[in-house]
Amino acid sequence: MTSRSTTVLVGVTSLFAGLFIPVGNAQQVSGPVKVVQLTGLAGVKDNAKGTLDVENGQLHFVHGKASTDVSASSIQDVVTGADSQRAVGGTIGLMSMAAPYGGGRVLSLFRSKIETLTVQYRDADGGLHGAIFTMPVGTSEVIKKELVAQGAHTTAAGDSTPPASSSTSPSKEQKQ
Amino acid sequence: MNRILSAGFRLSLFTLIFAASPLLAQKTKPAKIKAAALQIEMIQSDEIKLPAEFQVALYENLIRQLGKQGFSHVYRDGDRNAASVAGLVVLHSTVRGFKAGSERARQVTTVSGATSITIHCQFTSSDGTSLLEQDVNGKVRFFGGNLKATYDFAKKAAHVANENFFTPGRE
Repeated sequence: MTSRSTTVLVGVTSLFAGLFIPVGNAQQVSGPVKVVQLTGLAGVKDNAKGTLDVENGQLHFVHGKASTDVSASSIQDVVTGADSQRAVGGTIGLMSMAAPYGGGRVLSLFRSKIETLTVQYRDADGGLHGAIFTMPVGTSEVIKKELVAQGAHTTAAGDSTPPASSSTSPSKEQKQ
Repeated sequence: MNRILSAGFRLSLFTLIFAASPLLAQKTKPAKIKAAALQIEMIQSDEIKLPAEFQVALYENLIRQLGKQGFSHVYRDGDRNAASVAGLVVLHSTVRGFKAGSERARQVTTVSGATSITIHCQFTSSDGTSLLEQDVNGKVRFFGGNLKATYDFAKKAAHVANENFFTPGRE
């Protein structure tokens, strides 16, 4: 009887542990996160790959040997979102479109989930800038929280915006 | 013989009319408005829910494309340096329509999943007088991510600005 209850207890504990451990792992981001800067950072080319982290009150983007800093206090809005991208992209993805019997189109069905981080900040003259980053799932919210903790402002309290830009989301037209 | 001459005369008359019509049309084009500098306000989307990345991409692409069209002084929203510029033209943009679309649907079906965005562009003087209003849309139909629609919009909006405004010393 005791062994049965112990087994059940261990089973239930394992089940809950299984549910919560991945969430815990997703929230732990140690060190810089690999990101793609889609657009917006001054002096950085579009679609530049690099790393992003928050330290000493600065959003720090490192791209190759160059780095760009944005003061957290100058950030007036941070928004996270969800999106997806082709699993096979780039030149190979484009060339695959020419594959016979719709082979390329089948490849388009395979997509990986990503997250977006959109930051709006003001420069020394008060000019408004916007920067968009894409990053692995589970990292954008952590960076957002770190930014907010170090003085950044956000209009979207709590969780991220709906994944309206997600390629998998249904298309709904909104008109005035 | 007279009939041939008459037909030839008519033909040359028609040719002259058709050839001259584009020239006449160009003459009726409104004169360009002087704009010493442009200031771009952040895209407004109060009534239509627009994802933040679209809003920022629209704004950034617009500034970039206006610079490419030859407007040397393009100020950002809130830039204090713009306040002292005489002959400043301010561009206010409001989202009127948005269809998110789907990149996957575009790539798989080719015919569906288009992303489109319609934005009302209003150019005003610094005192708020409206100079030009026009709806501009951006689309991505076949290739590319959804954000490519923002690039399409920016190119068209910059073209509208170039068609209707000129910077002294540029032309």
